[in-house]
Amino acid sequence: MKVPSSVVPYIQVAPLALVLLVFFGIPLVTVVVVSFFDYVNFQTVPAFMFYNYEEVFSSGLTVTLYLTMLKYSVIVWLITLIVGFTVSYFLVFHVRSLLWKIFFFLVCTVPFWTSNIIRMISWIPVLGRNGLVNQTLMGLGLIDEPLDFLLFSDFSVIVAYVHLFTLFMVVTLFNSMARIDPAILEAAVDAGASRWQVITQVVIPLTKTGIALGSIFVVTLVMGDFFVVKIMSGGQSSSAVYAMWNEIAMLQYPSAAASAVILLLVVVLMAAAILRVVDVRKELSG
Amino acid sequence: MAQTGGIELANLTKRFGDTLAIDSVSMTVPPGTYCCLLGPSGCGKTTLLRMIAGHDEPTAGDVRIDGQSVLGLPPAERGTAMMFQSYALFPHLTCLDNVAFNLKVRGVAKAARRKQAHEMLDRVQMDGFADRVPAELSGGQQQRIALARSLITNPKVLLLDEPLSALDEFLRLQMRGNLRQMQNEFGITFVHVTHTQMEAIAVADLVVVMDHGQIDQADRARAVYDTPRTTYVARFIGGQNVLSGKVVAVENGAAILDDARGNRFTVPTGDTAPGTGETRYLSIRRDRIEMEKLADPSAARDGTVNSVVGKVWMTEYQGTWVKVNITLPDGEEFVANIDDGRFFANPVHEGDMVLARWPAESVHPLEHRESSFDTSRGGMHT
Repeated sequence: MKVPSSVVPYIQVAPLALVLLVFFGIPLVTVVVVSFFDYVNFQTVPAFMFYNYEEVFSSGLTVTLYLTMLKYSVIVWLITLIVGFTVSYFLVFHVRSLLWKIFFFLVCTVPFWTSNIIRMISWIPVLGRNGLVNQTLMGLGLIDEPLDFLLFSDFSVIVAYVHLFTLFMVVTLFNSMARIDPAILEAAVDAGASRWQVITQVVIPLTKTGIALGSIFVVTLVMGDFFVVKIMSGGQSSSAVYAMWNEIAMLQYPSAAASAVILLLVVVLMAAAILRVVDVRKELSG
Repeated sequence: MAQTGGIELANLTKRFGDTLAIDSVSMTVPPGTYCCLLGPSGCGKTTLLRMIAGHDEPTAGDVRIDGQSVLGLPPAERGTAMMFQSYALFPHLTCLDNVAFNLKVRGVAKAARRKQAHEMLDRVQMDGFADRVPAELSGGQQQRIALARSLITNPKVLLLDEPLSALDEFLRLQMRGNLRQMQNEFGITFVHVTHTQMEAIAVADLVVVMDHGQIDQADRARAVYDTPRTTYVARFIGGQNVLSGKVVAVENGAAILDDARGNRFTVPTGDTAPGTGETRYLSIRRDRIEMEKLADPSAARDGTVNSVVGKVWMTEYQGTWVKVNITLPDGEEFVANIDDGRFFANPVHEGDMVLARWPAESVHPLEHRESSFDTSRGGMHT
């Protein structure tokens, strides 16, 4: 059978397009449609109204939730960026042998060998009132009574996020840094650039793509988080997704759908903002 | 203007772990010299360059520029500038910003550094490309940008790491001339690393032949080509036939040698007094060889001194001369470059037995030193 060559590319993308359509496109459209529906008691009623959105926007809780998540996103983004940058820089420019590079990279992925939940829960015995950190500090005589801010606080939430998401920064930054010819760094030194100037004038501009992609990963993961914030804050903080889950539990599907659409828009806007700063397409084609 | 940029290396040594990359090298490059470091890959020439530049620190010894030790100084404070083999242009910057980079990190104001960069681009005939990025340029153009970037800080010494190796043959010859011209124009010292014999001989005032982290010979280009010091240099530079034999007698300042093939050679003894039975080495330039076809190869040799007999296995026409490859009875190769007029007046063909001979005054004595490097790869086959 002879297939016209103009059709071949479409056949090649068909499987992925189909999967995306069925498991992403249709559900998304459904959510958007349902977000305009009405609900009476525990029944969803087809309609076209903006009540769900009005409800979300008029609730002070929504604003608080988004501000909290935004705060977490920014802090976690900054920390993962700094940690990711230094780790990748070390791996790319200081580890000479390929074997050691692979070894250290594997070490970075070790946390991923267990599930997210276990990795998170394991912070509790470390950070708790009678946990490892408090006992060590007290044993050393540095503090008289346990530090309470360590667990079930913003601090523990951020620790868990950083632990869970740093690798996404490391991988994307490593990828773009590894493509820098080390001679370029030497050329900068030869030109009289200080260590700091080499980083700001050469390395950072050349890893923009990695920074942008890693940032999108981290920011969207934090914004879309459901359980880390709940568990690590001991129920004190909540996330937008957790609020949705509550609504779903009460069978208020249209209301949850409206929240989902808003969250989606917020995340898409954040990603768009990042991509506005860095033209990833141009970088990837070059 | 008194020229600056003299380089002195004193017992310079570099180890990488257990490997001795540079073995106590001492050398002087006078100011304003075009110096070529020549040797096969792995001979340490790039390491030597990087130690002058300050990108590698020596294990022992000293690097002095204009009499001042520069050990421990960062590259920019040595008065050197390096041009990297890959050019190492900043891919995210325009040509103008690439050239101005050195001024930028030194805190020169934007307007001033742009003006200077434009002038420098003009000097390498690249001002029309100021707003392009390196990826949009050809290899030769990239190289000129790299050159401009290195020269903008007025270095005393420009260090070039295999500057021509990434270019095609035509551009290589053109850029070779350009480099020499730039060096004349700027009047600074150039140190140029290459593994191409022709390149070194064509551009350099001072050719430094290296092997295994040591200098075998540092001399004017003509001296390195015409009077190599050792068998290694003769073979590596090429253009020479290297022979050896055992001393049977010494007469009138010349030793008479017999080789295992039954040939007899003479070689000037110079200041040395060789003892009978000692092995001596000599070279004869390929273009000093006379050749004649032997009508009857089985006829007894008439005892002609300074000659060999062999079979022609290949002739190659080179334009002004013909390269005749001759195999000696023991399989050794011997090459005669015969002027094309003389060759075609009396041609030989593959399979012919020939007598190749040379005048006694064309013989040059060599010190014996071999390299574990495969020198048969090297050599200008001229």
